[in-house]
This record gives sequence, C-alpha cells and structure tokens, in this order.
Amino acid sequence: MARSTCPAPLFYRVVPIVCALAFLLVSQPLQADSRTVRVGLHEVPPKITIDSSGKPAGIYVELIEDIARKEGWHVQYVVGKWADNLDRLERGEIDLVADIARTEERARRYAFPDVSVLSSWFQLYTPQWQRIHSVVELNGKRILVLAQSAQEQSFIRLSQGFELNVTLIAVPDYPTMFAMIADGKADALITSRYHGKWSAGKYHLKETDVLFDPIPLFYAATKGDPKQLLAAIDRHLAELKKDQRSLYYDALHRLANGPTTFSLPIWVQIVGAGMLGFLLVSIAVSMILKCQVNVRTQELKRENTERRALQQRFMDIIDFLPDPTFVIDEHKRVIVWNQACEAMTGVRKDQIIGQGDYAYGEAFFGKRRPVLIDLLDQPDAAIEATYTRLYRTKNRTCAGTTYSKPSASQGSYLWGVASPLYEQDGRRSGAIETLRDISEQKKTEEALRASEREYRELVMLANSIILRWLPNGRITFLNEFGLRFFGYTATELIGRHVVGTLVPECGADGRDLRTLMDEITDNPQRFARSSNENMRRDGERVWIDWTNKMVTDAGGKVKEILSIGSDITERRQAEEQIRLLNEHLRRQAETLEQRVAERTAELAAVNDEQRAIFESASAGIVLLKERIIHHCNRKFEEMTGYPSGELIGKPISMLYTDEQEYIRFGQQAYTHVVSEKACYKEEMQIVRQDGSPFWARLNLCAYDSNEPFKGMVGIIEDITDEHEVMEKLRQALEAAQEADRGKSTFLATMSHELRTPLNSIIGFTGIMLQELAGPLNPEQHKQMGMVQKSARHLLALINDVLDISKISAGQLELAITSFALSASIEKAVKLIAPLAEQKAIELRMEIEDSAGEIVADQRRLEQVLLNLLNNAVKFTEQGWVSIACREENGDYLLSVTDTGIGIQPEKIEHLFRPFYQIESGVARKHEGTGLGLPICQKMVELMGGSIAATSQWGRGSTFTIRLPHRYQEVRNEQPLADHRG
Amino acid sequence: MNNRLLIIEDNEQNLYLMRFLLEKHGFSVIAAGDGEAGVAMALQCDPQAILLDVQLPKMNGYAVAAALRKRPRFDGVPIIAVTSYAMVGDREQILAAGATGYIEKPINPDTFVAEIRRYLSGNMETVDE
Repeated sequence: MARSTCPAPLFYRVVPIVCALAFLLVSQPLQADSRTVRVGLHEVPPKITIDSSGKPAGIYVELIEDIARKEGWHVQYVVGKWADNLDRLERGEIDLVADIARTEERARRYAFPDVSVLSSWFQLYTPQWQRIHSVVELNGKRILVLAQSAQEQSFIRLSQGFELNVTLIAVPDYPTMFAMIADGKADALITSRYHGKWSAGKYHLKETDVLFDPIPLFYAATKGDPKQLLAAIDRHLAELKKDQRSLYYDALHRLANGPTTFSLPIWVQIVGAGMLGFLLVSIAVSMILKCQVNVRTQELKRENTERRALQQRFMDIIDFLPDPTFVIDEHKRVIVWNQACEAMTGVRKDQIIGQGDYAYGEAFFGKRRPVLIDLLDQPDAAIEATYTRLYRTKNRTCAGTTYSKPSASQGSYLWGVASPLYEQDGRRSGAIETLRDISEQKKTEEALRASEREYRELVMLANSIILRWLPNGRITFLNEFGLRFFGYTATELIGRHVVGTLVPECGADGRDLRTLMDEITDNPQRFARSSNENMRRDGERVWIDWTNKMVTDAGGKVKEILSIGSDITERRQAEEQIRLLNEHLRRQAETLEQRVAERTAELAAVNDEQRAIFESASAGIVLLKERIIHHCNRKFEEMTGYPSGELIGKPISMLYTDEQEYIRFGQQAYTHVVSEKACYKEEMQIVRQDGSPFWARLNLCAYDSNEPFKGMVGIIEDITDEHEVMEKLRQALEAAQEADRGKSTFLATMSHELRTPLNSIIGFTGIMLQELAGPLNPEQHKQMGMVQKSARHLLALINDVLDISKISAGQLELAITSFALSASIEKAVKLIAPLAEQKAIELRMEIEDSAGEIVADQRRLEQVLLNLLNNAVKFTEQGWVSIACREENGDYLLSVTDTGIGIQPEKIEHLFRPFYQIESGVARKHEGTGLGLPICQKMVELMGGSIAATSQWGRGSTFTIRLPHRYQEVRNEQPLADHRG
Repeated sequence: MNNRLLIIEDNEQNLYLMRFLLEKHGFSVIAAGDGEAGVAMALQCDPQAILLDVQLPKMNGYAVAAALRKRPRFDGVPIIAVTSYAMVGDREQILAAGATGYIEKPINPDTFVAEIRRYLSGNMETVDE
C-alpha cells in the first residue's frame, strides 16, 4: 500500500498548481457575463491571502478555480473588506463570497450551498502578556470581533451562557483587529482557528484555550443564486472531499501546516517549467513500471480480500459489543456502527455508514461540535474545553461529559473512550470511539459522595462523642469532639481498650464496669441505649448517655460497635438536685398541709367561739365595708327591727335620720379614725325599719385605721333608757342653771344697785372727812369716820358676796398667764407690809430657788395670797408671819404661817364654810365678811389646786396652797355667755 | 388750754359728788344726763377728758365711747369709764368700746382726783388696788 500511495501527494500537488497557473494566465481579460463569476474575497491568511501585486491565493481560490475550470466559468476577484463584500453580494454586485459561515440571518440574505469548504473553530487570541486560560477569565475584558460575523453571534451566545460581562468591539476586518490589539486597545480577539494560528506568530499573539463553536464555512451566493452556481459548487466539493488525494485535501493540508512557497509566482513558473520536464520523464518511467504495478496490484487485491475478511470479523465483534461503538475512517466517514449505537441514538446502521460531516456526532450529541473522536489530535486543553473529564493512556483518549439528549429533559453523562487507528505502516487510518451512558452511575456516585461527605462532616463536627470499638474492647475510632472531650489524641487512644481509658474499671458506686462492657457486647439489644460512668484522661468522672449500634457481618456476628454519646454529667447533677429539691418540697408540703389542717381546726374553733360571742352579744355588732353592711348579729337586727339577714348588703344610709346626718357622720367618723388612729364614738339616733328613731351609742373601729373604708366594726348599744334619764337630767340641770343664771343676774343687778348709793355715802363721807366742804369738829370727824368704816365694810361684803356668787355660777373667768411666782409673792408681801409694821409683826419670806414660772391667773393668786397674809397679820398680835414657797411632786406649795391665836381643831373643818366666823373673844376685833377663805378655796380649786389649814390652838396656824406648775382646764361646764340678762 | 371735763352721768348724786370733788380741785366741769346729750356736748365743748357712766338712758356708755372714738378729734382725749358694773368682763368690754380707763364705783374720794389727773397727763395705765 505504501508503495502505491507514496508518489501520489507530489502528483496531486503539482497538477492543480499547473492548471491554476494556466487558468490564471488566460482568465484576466474576460468580461463579466453569465459565465463570469465575480468572487468577493477578503484577506484572511492563510485561508485567503493577497500578495503585494493584489493576487489572491489560498484554499478558497484554489477550489473555486478548480470548479470554474471544470464548469467553464470565468472567475473575477473583487478583493475588499469582509463587510463591504457582504454588502456587494447583497446588492448583486458580486456572485459569490468566500469563507462565510451560515447563520439564520445570512440564510435569509444570501444563498448557501449544502457542502461546506472548511470546518473551523473560533478561538480567542491574546497578547503574550495576557493570562486568559478559561472562558470565565474573560469577564471585564475588551474583546475584538469581526462585525457581522458568525463568531460575533456565537461569542455573544457563549458570553451570555457564562454570564460574562465583556466589551465586544466589532471591527470591519482582521487587519484592523490586529492593529488595534497591537495598540493595546483591546485585551483579546476572536478569529477562526486557521486565521488565528497563521496570524499569531506574526502579531506576537498567544492562543488561548477558549475554543468554541466549530462551524462549517461556505461559499455563499447572491440571494436566489441567479447564476445557479451553488449546485455546481456542491457537486464538485462533494467529489473533491470523497477523494483523499484530491486538490481539496492537499489545500487543506497546506492550510493546516502554514503557508507554502507557492505563492511566489515567478519562482513557481520556473519550478513549473522544471516540473514539466520532470513530468515527461516520470511518464516514461511510469510506463516502465506499469507492468510491475499490475503484478503488485494483484497481490494487493488478494491482501485486500484477506484484510476485508479480517475487518468484517472485527466489525462483527464490534457489532456485538454492549456499549455503543463506532469507527470512522480517515475521512471521518462512519465505517462501523454497532447495534448498541442504534439502540442509543435511534440511527440505523444503513442510514449512517459512509456518512461524513459529523453524522456520528449528530447522532449522539446533536449540534454539539466537536466530539471526542474529532479531538484526538488536539492538545489536552482543547479537549478539556469540551469535556469535563479527560485522561489519556498511550494513544487512547478517554473523556466524559454531560450533554442534553434532545429527547431527554435532563442532562446525561456520556463517558467516551476514543483511540486513533493506525495502519500497519503507522499511517492514521481513522479512529474508534466507544460511549457509555453513565448517568445513573454518575448519579449514584454523586449521591454516595454527598452522603460520604455528610457522614464525614457529621462525624467530625458533631457535638457528640462518636466512638467505634471492636468486640474485644479495642478502640478503632473516636471523633474530634470525643478526643477533645476525653483529652486524648487519636494516636494515644486508637488500639487501646475502652476499659482503663474511657471507661473506668469500676464506677463511683463500686460497680465493676469491666463486666458491663462484656455485657454490652454479649447483649447488644439490651444496651442500645445506656447511661454509664466514663472517665477523662485526667481521671475526672463524667456521665455519658450512649447509643450503641452493633455492626454485624454477613454472618450476624458483631464486627464492631458504634457508640454515640453525649455528656449528661450536668444533666445528671441537675436531675439529682431536682430530685433532692422535690423530696425537700414534698416533705415541706406535708408539714405545711399538716399545719394548715391544724390551723384550720383552730380557726374553726375560734370561729365558732367568735360566732357565739358575736351572736350572743348584748350589743348590736355590724361589720361594714364601704359603708355597706357586710355582716351583723341578731341583736342588731332585733334593735332595728329588720328580719334576719335582710340588712346584709344594705347601705347604712337607711339607718340615719336623714341624708345630711349620714354625710356628716361619715365625714366625722372616718376623719377621726384616720387622723386619730382610734375608734370613733358617738351617741346618735338610728332609724328602725318602721321609721321610728332610737338613741344608740356607737363605737366604730376600723380593721385598718389607714383605710377605714376597707372594713369597720360597729358596736351599737341601745341607750334609749339611758338617754331618757340623761335628757331628764339635762333638763333639770338646764332648769337649775337657768335658776342660777337668774340668781347671778339678780346678784349683779343688786351689786350695781347697792354700789350706786354706796358711792354717795363713801364719796361724801370722804369729802367731809377731807374737810373739802368745811371744817369738822372732832366729834363730827369721829362719827363721819364710823360712817366711812361701815360703808367700806358694806362694800367689802357686797364684793365678796358677788365673788362667791360668780364662782358658784361658774362666771369667774380665769386670766391664765405665765408669770414669776416669787414676784407675785413679793408683791403681796409688799402690800401687807404697812399693816404688819403697824402691828410690829415680823414678815418672813422663804422662797426656794425652785420657785420659778407658774401658769395660772396671776391676779386671783395674788388676791388669795393677800387674803391669807391679811388674815395671818389680823390674827397675830405678836411674833411673825411667814410666807414660804417650795416644790413638791411637780406642784408648788405656798404656805402662810403665823404665830397668832391659832384655830381650835374642831373648828378647822368649818373654816372654809361661807359666813362661818370663829366665835371668840377676839373675834370682834377682826371684822371680816366671813367669805374670804371660801373665796380663796374656790379660786385655788378653780386653778386646779387645793388649800388646807393646820393649826395649834394658841400657837399659830399654817395655810398651805398646792398649785400645779401649769394650769389645766378642768371645768366641764361652759360658763354662761350672757351673765347680765 | 382749758381744763374742762365732761361728765356723762344720769345719777344726780354721783354727778354732784364728782363735780364737787373735781371743781374743788380746780377743774371746770360740764355734764350731760344721757348718752346722746353727752355725745353732743363732747362735740360742742372740746373737753379735756370725758368721765362716762355705762348705764345711761338713750345711749349707753359703750355706744358713746364707740361714737366718740370714730372721730379723730377725740384721739387724744381720755374717756374714763366710771361704773358700778363690777362683774367679769365689764372692764374689758368698755375698754374695747374705746374707753381709755376705768374707775370702779364707789369711788374713793381720797384718790379719785389724782387718778383723773394721771389720765390727763397721758399716763394711761390703769391702777389696780
């Protein structure tokens, strides 16, 4: 095979060049007519190159010229910018445009043939310094793209799919694009792969791994294809593509391997001439060789037959493989398509065998391009752009990816293994790919992985102790939390026995825990849940609640014990405390209950007693709340005449004589209770049910004197009888007082009436004795003196009688002031001094220092002292009279002592009786009204004191006044206001 | 300055006694027998002092004292009650009505004029005993 195919490339390379040259030389002068085909070209090296003389070259030029030659067309080139050519095509100024991808929009504007010229991927190129390895790194970049190009739309779709935010800069042609990137006006550019590869070195660009959308590139014709060029193009291209040695593959090869030198026309012409000579020699040689070739052909035929049989056997084997497997030849035509492929894709063998143009890819992956088998020669990065997982072994490439089955709603995961196939001589002859739908496996794997991850996280992070140990007691695992909890590191603990490490040999209560562990392994069911004492590394005892799970082997034998525990030490302590507290509470409650029962019994007894007292009380008892009767006893009901129970809940206002009285009483009583913090007493009239009032004595006490409205108890006594007696007494008293008042008025009037004549008597007597009216003789003087003396005595009598009657009638009002006692004494002594001096009687004063201030009626007190001193001097003929003052038991004692005649003991008790004068021989000498001492006594008593006399007959007397330091109101009766009538 | 004194007194003997005593001691005495006449005379005659009985016809001593005290011209004129009312409160009552002083009847002829002079000299203190 090698021998027959070896010279072919040279031949195939040379012939089209010669033809093209010949064509080029004659085609120039031709005018455009129906056979003239105007082809729009734009410079896309290496696919389309334009040399300095403006001559185009490249695969598109070669192919169209080949077709033109066969069809008899005259080709005219219109070289321009890509976008301009598209406009020209649309306007019909040119007939064809080369190197155009088919899009829906373009399909509406132009006509496309069925057969493509090239299949190209788009690839992203960047300046050397840019570091872009994957699609996502394009975010935020400025990217150049050819305006109105297929790659523009593809890239927009791609960037939308990845949610990229890129700035797309559309430029009219590639030269502009390269110029811009050289100026740093963009970060990357998108070109077709062929063009990019060609340009990369020239513009110092770097290819990236961002490859996308393999697309077929066509010649496109004016809409409607008026010159019917496309059918011819289709036909010829199909023909060319079928033959591996055709001009097409030759051009393709050159395209992939960079520019060749044939673009230099002069050089080509020289070489061409040389070649022509060489060709003639070759024909001659070939003629000689022909017979040899024929012999060899026979051999080859035989070999081929054998080979086909072998191939058929392989194909049969492949056909029965359980996984979809297909084989393509070097032209990417399907040559083997097994049953599993049919089952998975639904595409029958007879439909696909011999088909090229990615028919196999379409069957499995729909529109997806390229598939693994197409990528075998690509660097790994290019495969990884399409496949998520990849590995290579020798010449096998294994890769897997998810894809959406057109029929299935969810993505499937297809795992493919592809390998290039080689002839015996090492030439690539095709490739084989086996696919397997591993979606289910993938899902299971994913689920397992997730579950594994969750489990691991759970075990590692759980706030529980997770322990695994063997039935022999050896620890195999303790999670992080457990290690921290017990205070061990994994290396310290793993492999050791639980007893002596995590479990103490015996519990705090003396229980042997070694046997416990045996029991757990012996009877796992019983210990599915257990709480027991454990031990930390430092020996601290802890209580842990364990959940034990036995892991058994297929034979049911315990293989391992999984124990999950949580620390319940605190909980146990708390429980113990709660238990103790409960016990304590229960005991307390019992005691309390007992006490309540006792107290209840006591209270019941007291209550009964109180009820008995309450009901049998001789007084009415009312319990009030907010002035409403809360409770009352039978006696009160009897008093008021209400039927039993009828008063309960009634307002007490109904018991008052009228509303004003109710209000007055309320204010008075409640104010009193609050301010005095004492019970309120009043005698008042209460109205019975029949409307009749009765007098009652009410004693009202509050339970709480701060809040009397909350509750009060009233004790009511019917004092109708008492009140009647009192009323009689009061009337009697009033009558007596009335009589007394009459007497006083009489006395006052009499005093006045007596004084008026006395005024004349005393006055004129005095005038006469002064001899203002004329001189008197001694006898007249003596007699007038007697008149005067009698008149004065009469006046003294009148005054004393008036005093006595005033005191008796309670009309004597005291003028209470605070004054110095000693000063009053001295004043009285001073007044009596002349009389004492006259009788040569010594006056003595004995005033102790304690005699200070006294609160009394100064004038009356002085009157009393003067009276007593006067009496003392009067009844003393010789010796002395003394006045003394001292303090005793908080009272002042004022005593007047004389060395006079004294008083007979049996007379002493009569001393203070009015008009009682001691009859004695000397009595006549001592005239007095007989009212002095009674007046003194009354006055002292009025001032809250007392007076007493002691005497020794013939030796002298002592009159002692006892007076309190401070006068205090003692009188019960108010003096009558109007005493004159 | 006159030395005229007005005595308002319905009892002729008492009036005579006081007039006799005072005139003997150099005073000029005018007299009225009832309260109204007393007030009228006081207004006409500008007395140096007024001696006033309490129980008077037509207008009693309290009313006379009150009536005279209403007039500013009597501000400096002593009104001396001379009365036989000796009951509790009598003294206070007449002083409250406007009297300057109080002399109880029966008067003491030995001290009476001296007492009057003391009131006239501006020593308003009443004398006890």
